[in-house]
Amino acid sequence: MGNIFTTGLFQHMFRSATPVGLAAMGGLMTEHAGIMNIGMDGMILMGAFTSVAVSWLFGSAWLGLLAALLVGVLVGMFFALFVVKFKSDEFIIGTALNILAGGLTVFLLRSIFEVKGSFRGTPEQPVVGLPKVELGVLAKIPIVGPILDGSSVFLILTWGLVAIMWFFVYRTPYGFWIRAAGERPATLRTAGISPEKMKWISSALSGAFCGVAGAQLALGDVTMFSEGMSNSRGYVAFACVIFGAANPGKAYLAALMFGFFDALGYRLQEYANSNLTAMIPYAITVIMMVYVVVRSQRRRAKMGRIAG
Amino acid sequence: MDKKKMDWGYFGSLALSILLALGVGGVIMAAAGYHPIKAYGALLQGATGCESIGEFLTAAFTKRQFGNTLEYTMVLCMTGLACALGARVGIFNVGGEGQLYLGAIVSAYIGVLLAGCAWWIAIPVAALGAMVAGGLYAWVPGVLKVKCKVNEVITTIMLNSIAIYFCTFLSTGPWKTSQGNRVSGTETLVPDLQFTRLINGSSLTTAVFAAAVIAFLVWYVMSKTATGYEMKLTGQNRRFAFFSGLKVDTITIGAMTISGAMCGLVGMFEVYGVKGSYQDGISKEFYFDGLLVAMIMRYNPVGIIFMSLLFAALRIGASGMELNAGVPGEVYRIIQSVIIFFMAAESGISASVKAKRAEKRARREANARLEGKANG
Repeated sequence: MGNIFTTGLFQHMFRSATPVGLAAMGGLMTEHAGIMNIGMDGMILMGAFTSVAVSWLFGSAWLGLLAALLVGVLVGMFFALFVVKFKSDEFIIGTALNILAGGLTVFLLRSIFEVKGSFRGTPEQPVVGLPKVELGVLAKIPIVGPILDGSSVFLILTWGLVAIMWFFVYRTPYGFWIRAAGERPATLRTAGISPEKMKWISSALSGAFCGVAGAQLALGDVTMFSEGMSNSRGYVAFACVIFGAANPGKAYLAALMFGFFDALGYRLQEYANSNLTAMIPYAITVIMMVYVVVRSQRRRAKMGRIAG
Repeated sequence: MDKKKMDWGYFGSLALSILLALGVGGVIMAAAGYHPIKAYGALLQGATGCESIGEFLTAAFTKRQFGNTLEYTMVLCMTGLACALGARVGIFNVGGEGQLYLGAIVSAYIGVLLAGCAWWIAIPVAALGAMVAGGLYAWVPGVLKVKCKVNEVITTIMLNSIAIYFCTFLSTGPWKTSQGNRVSGTETLVPDLQFTRLINGSSLTTAVFAAAVIAFLVWYVMSKTATGYEMKLTGQNRRFAFFSGLKVDTITIGAMTISGAMCGLVGMFEVYGVKGSYQDGISKEFYFDGLLVAMIMRYNPVGIIFMSLLFAALRIGASGMELNAGVPGEVYRIIQSVIIFFMAAESGISASVKAKRAEKRARREANARLEGKANG
């Protein structure tokens, strides 16, 4: 088994954890605001498509990223329009959003680029990917060097974003208000701040992060868009948010765990059928969900006993 | 149920939403450079196989395309009702796709094993196998939801991926056919076990009768029996139902399990009716189409049965449209989801208008009373 636990495994772990972690940062915004955001998968998909289309059109990955972010904000606002303004069922709107994203991206893929399946750009005009980390001499640092060298810059940017998000949620008034909008909306209103406004902001932020997650998915390590490429990552991100109790650091750790099992499954293909190993990260996600919910219930039950 | 909710206003907003969604679909197609009217014409032709209304009235039941539409109506009806069963008791089964796959592969394998048996033994056994496989696969998230309060949407979505990978493993590995050079799929069923086709060349088979019976049963149980009423009570107010002495946990898990069993059965219908063996990609998100139908009809069984026909015509027609007019068939998914957005917007707007009106009336009355007091 010596050839499983290599630096390649950890490189793969970070690579597959990055989009999930980014989306989870968005998911925890809506989670704090008391919105069940099932539509993240569709938001990621739209972000991925937009980033590839814009990157191909203008030859700039950063423009693609920016466009994905803007589309994410728009989709997030669209989601908020229904969930916050019209008070529709979050589950129904989220599901409809995912199905719309699946249909729209495939439709556009076929009508704009006239391809089925996936789009990597044209020979004379390839899709430009986001830059990679180049450590140069530092790549010789054991373990860390080879893991970071050549990976997408978003791997490191994500760490910064996680820290910023932690600060935003727990140390700024906006973070406080967004949390209050979910937990005590009536109290927040009494304090003179509209919980609806906070929900709008959190949905827009959630969309922005999912859009960026999509861009990272499509331009980070591979440079292509393929049909349904979000592949339930939005739901995994949702599970990470629950697992991390909507704390950015913990949610990112959960995403790393997903990434680890994704990488492990990939590496175990040498020893077992690839379809069986592909099941691993999804099975782990289910187990994670069950574990965290059962644990929090136990804790609550214990607290109840102490209090009673 | 929902006699009050299913009133004319609802039908009006539904009809309007469908028209608007078709309009949006048309605009998107026009923007992408297709001729929307021609495209919708091709869609209608693709769904019915007929070129005129006269032809439709006289010869529809001989057309392959119309048979496919009816078959897909059956699929949507079954999956939509399966979704409604869960939703009625307050649990959302999003895992129908996985349950369908498992039902399909288990029934296909049973068919291979029982190839020598008489059809009246093999088919019921296969149906039972499909229902058990699908049912158990829904039972797990059901129990997790009820006993551990784990969000069933996430677990069922994850279980979908797991089931599809697992079925691919079986169909490319242990249960793979030895026939020909096929890379995956189970052995083709003996002709005796395959359902009889009702329209030559179409997917419509005798399974449609079984589905009709099941649909009737589901409707009957949901709207005419005490069990149906208990389900509704459980879904609307769990605490109240619990303190009224209902076994809410059993009802919830039971509804979820039956929902999964129905999805498993749809998988069997696909294998025994359409494909003749288990093949990878046997369901192309059939369950999600049914889920949308159920959501649009607010989980009303009768509504689901009728709306299935429209959605089936959309999807089957869309593939004809792709073939004949070159318009990407995925436009049907856009239209379907946009219907939901329009309906949600309509009910949201009308609710806020109502709330504003009520507020105004209350303010007016309060003012009148204040003035009355001031004068008196």
